Amino acid sequence: MNATLSFWAESLPSLISGMVVSLEVTAAALAIGVPLGLVAALLVQSTVRPLRWVTLAVVEIGRGAPALILLQLAYYGLPYSGLQLSSMGSAIAALSWTTCAYTSEIIRAGLQAVPRGQSEAAMTLGLSRLDALRFVIVPQGMRVAAPALLGFAILMLQASSLCFAIALPELLSKAQLIGTMTFRYMEILLLAALLYAAICIPATLLVAAIERRLGKHAA
Amino acid sequence: MERTGEARLIVEVKGLGKSFGAHKVLDGVDFSMRAGEVVAVIGPSGSGKSTLLRCLNQLEQHDEGLIQICGIGMQAGLPVPRKDMNDLRRSAGMVFQSFNLFPHMTVLRNISLPQERVLGRSRAQADERSRALLERVGLAGKADQYPARCSGGQQQRIAIARALALDPRIMLFDEPTSALDPEIGLEVLAVMQELAEAGMSMIVVTHEMHFAETVSDRVILMAEGRILEEGPSAEVMRRPKTARAQQFLHAVLNR
Ligand SMILES: Nc1ncnc2c1ncn2[C@@H]1O[C@H](COP(=O)(O)OP(=O)(O)OP(=O)(O)O)[C@@H](O)[C@H]1O
Ligand SMILES: [Mg+2]
Repeated sequence: MNATLSFWAESLPSLISGMVVSLEVTAAALAIGVPLGLVAALLVQSTVRPLRWVTLAVVEIGRGAPALILLQLAYYGLPYSGLQLSSMGSAIAALSWTTCAYTSEIIRAGLQAVPRGQSEAAMTLGLSRLDALRFVIVPQGMRVAAPALLGFAILMLQASSLCFAIALPELLSKAQLIGTMTFRYMEILLLAALLYAAICIPATLLVAAIERRLGKHAA
Repeated sequence: MERTGEARLIVEVKGLGKSFGAHKVLDGVDFSMRAGEVVAVIGPSGSGKSTLLRCLNQLEQHDEGLIQICGIGMQAGLPVPRKDMNDLRRSAGMVFQSFNLFPHMTVLRNISLPQERVLGRSRAQADERSRALLERVGLAGKADQYPARCSGGQQQRIAIARALALDPRIMLFDEPTSALDPEIGLEVLAVMQELAEAGMSMIVVTHEMHFAETVSDRVILMAEGRILEEGPSAEVMRRPKTARAQQFLHAVLNR
């Protein structure tokens, strides 16, 4: 027991630095992917057909292809097309795509949940289509989508562990590395799991609290 | 409303037709109204009253006939130019049965935002106008509340203020009190009556027979997508000519 604790204490700084990388890549993927998801959610409803088709393709590939494959394509595949990304760059590119694809569906559902009367009111008041989206539909739709988006963000943090496959020094890679050097896989993976849980469980509780609050203020 | 003197038509509808699929909801509707007039539209459920209003402000596109409203002409089948559409939306205020306030904005923002975006008023100008209108509909104290904290009758009065804030030339009401308890509806009807007395042109789809008879100048009675009877309120309501109209009025007046 003592041996484990001191091993954990020794390994903790390294795992924490890995955790920071995990959080960074997740944050970047969300910061890029969610706005793109909103754009995609709006474009799939576009009346301009080619725009709709391209968006649909981007979304369907992003959802259909496992994130692990997208990661490896970005890291090993893109160099063939002349674009060499660091493991961090590849991770952000691939996970942003996944994020965009999944959140576009969440956001689309949120936008559709906004009652028709809202856009009719905006129209009869003379707001332009863009203003109606910006001031009336998107703020309400995003509010509906918020709990699901936050839930997705938590899944994304866990999915960032896939980045160990492209040598990104995130939490799982760090744990693996220590494991191969010490052969104490069991203990180090347990510690890594505890670290993920230490973030994800409070985050889940927070999401539930936010959901309750939003529910209370709904009209 | 500012136009006095010769009777000027603010709405003229000729041969208006509208179908949803194979279902003909409006069929050969003709009517006109002068600026400053208050017209009540009554009739059984499904007779096309809402659709008529929605065609007037182009929430629905009509597929037959000609609509002229506030000097904007719209011929079925021809696209309405963007400028005309903007003018139309600016000239015609609409009040819905379900209020349709924006729930994520305060009452004041609900009224000020369209003024800023559509008329280009500054926030200060818009807010000043909004507060004056809230005062007028008796809700000065509600400016900083969210709509969900207001009763239905209050929300509908706010919705009226929101439409008035754009200085419309005509107001269209689609059953503004139907979602409200009768006594709460009275506070909304009082605001509408005041508006009518101030000379606003109004088309009011309503089941409120008392309002139709006492406040409106004229009543249009619709059935199955057509205008069945039309004329001065007392005449249509007291002495309907057709059997169908007699039957409808008998049913609603003896409810
Ligand atoms: N968007 C739509 N698509 C298909 N049918 C529609 C649509 N809107 C209205 N209708 C049909 O058109 C007919 C007239 O509807 P409308 O809402 O104009 O009637 P109304 O006189 O306002 O009735 P109510 O008193 O119930 O409000 C109804 O049969 C309705 O089902
Ligand atoms: Mg109706």
